[in-house]
Amino acid sequence: HYIMGPQHKRRKTEETVPFAWEVIPVLSDEKSQDVKLLTAYAAPIMNKKETSRLVKEVAALYPLSGLQHLKRVRACEEKSSPHPLEIILCLVSNVKDHSDADTVVSLSDLFSDRNIDCSGLGEPFLVQVPAHPPLTRPQFEKASCHWPTSFHEDKQVTEALTGQLFSTEEKAKMQGYMEKAIRTAKEGENKGMELVGAVLVDPNTDGVLAVAHDCRNSSNPLLHAVMVCIDLVAHGQGGGAYTYKDYPACTFAVMDRSHCTLAEKCLISIDREDCSESEDSGLPYICTGYDLYVTREPCVMCAMALVHSRIHRVFYGISSPDGALGTKYKIHTHTDLNHHYDVFKGIMERECQQLFLK
Amino acid sequence: MGSEAAGGNEAAFQPSAGEHKWMQRAFEMAKEALQNGEVPVGCLMVYNDEILGQGRNEVNETKNATRHAEMVAIDQVLEWCHQNGRDHAGVFQRTVLYVTVEPCIMCASALRLLKIPLVVYGCRNDRFGGCGSVLNIPADELQNTGNPFKCISGYRAEEAVEMLKTFYKQENPNGFRGAVAVRGSQKK
Ligand SMILES: [Zn+2]
Ligand SMILES: [Zn+2]
Repeated sequence: HYIMGPQHKRRKTEETVPFAWEVIPVLSDEKSQDVKLLTAYAAPIMNKKETSRLVKEVAALYPLSGLQHLKRVRACEEKSSPHPLEIILCLVSNVKDHSDADTVVSLSDLFSDRNIDCSGLGEPFLVQVPAHPPLTRPQFEKASCHWPTSFHEDKQVTEALTGQLFSTEEKAKMQGYMEKAIRTAKEGENKGMELVGAVLVDPNTDGVLAVAHDCRNSSNPLLHAVMVCIDLVAHGQGGGAYTYKDYPACTFAVMDRSHCTLAEKCLISIDREDCSESEDSGLPYICTGYDLYVTREPCVMCAMALVHSRIHRVFYGISSPDGALGTKYKIHTHTDLNHHYDVFKGIMERECQQLFLK
Repeated sequence: MGSEAAGGNEAAFQPSAGEHKWMQRAFEMAKEALQNGEVPVGCLMVYNDEILGQGRNEVNETKNATRHAEMVAIDQVLEWCHQNGRDHAGVFQRTVLYVTVEPCIMCASALRLLKIPLVVYGCRNDRFGGCGSVLNIPADELQNTGNPFKCISGYRAEEAVEMLKTFYKQENPNGFRGAVAVRGSQKK
């Protein structure tokens, strides 16, 4: 239960080759939403020696159920304050209905017929307290402006939000993959296709497993670049449902994953997904552990196809109007679905944007 | 009991004679699949009182996790259009999908992109369902994703669920995991 974590060390190299783009994590709504507040009664603790007794007695009378993240007592912000500490007594909703929620009460209203020794407590006042435990550092910092909370920091999320999750070297690789996706999108355009390109990569080996452009203007309107990419990976493993002889820019690498161990395939996820289920069933979850680079945000069909394929991470350039990884839905964080993946946007944003301005 | 998912109104399932006939056919397919150790999902695409596609799950043989019965049936319709020199856009807009289990989010999106007008299905798909269970793709506000479509659900729902339970019990000796998933069978 620490409030301020140790100043986290920058593991990654600090010297910056200037990239004109940033890798922006697309987090779940719970992680990206504003801090929600509840109104509570608090009171000054006039005599510090009474603190532990007061905490015990008040907590017994008004437990903060479901609000375990709140510190019951805070130190006074102003040094000149006549009292050193303040304590949450209860939520306004514990004692009042909505109609008169904003009125101040006295200690006797809150504790009148109850067995509590109010000595050492000053008169109650209203405060706003965070309704949910903070999940990210920005949420924690905002929440702390209202009332101190505990915070179990996910370092990877913090790094992702501050642009420190990926090193310069990693960003250079991302750029290489996205450049390939853009080049392939243009090859597709020469065949009359929509300007979307996708590249599927094994981050363990840096191997490019599949490269695809959109084929929806062919005889099959569902062959979006992502669907093509998934099918090309299947081809690489001896499967596949379509042929791409008319589209030589759509390619795959033949691979043998039999030597891979589960540990290799289960990379750390910033959303802490348990991926142990993926391989033990023997079903062809063929994209387990792989990364997808795609020039624009996938639609809901493609985003769900990536759930079925157990993709590890998706990196895209720009948002789409009906996009399903941040714009209209967040399929990758949907709590009802059995597989989640990490999504980052903004990779070579300007170049990806230019594809669609043509 | 049934409901019209896209409209959000509960309504008893009152199939037309045609719907009844095609759903019966879909259930026969599902039963056959179960007997062969395959995912018991029956799926038909009907245009002008003619079956143009009848898909079965091909995830295993293709190693492509997106090869759900619906996607396979869609490809058969595309192939029919190609063979018969027909414009697939016009055909899909007059094609109905009959399927024993609610289509997943991916398949529902595919159907919407193709502007299919109506989906008739049996039981809900609590894990992946895209027609009301997890998401409601046919009714959501999506300007760039084809057309909204109508759903009629609840046709012999208990029976469709029972078949899936039987299948997943066979697949997983530890018991039914609540999976109403349209996934591949391990059996050859
Ligand atoms: Zn798509
Ligand atoms: Zn499906």
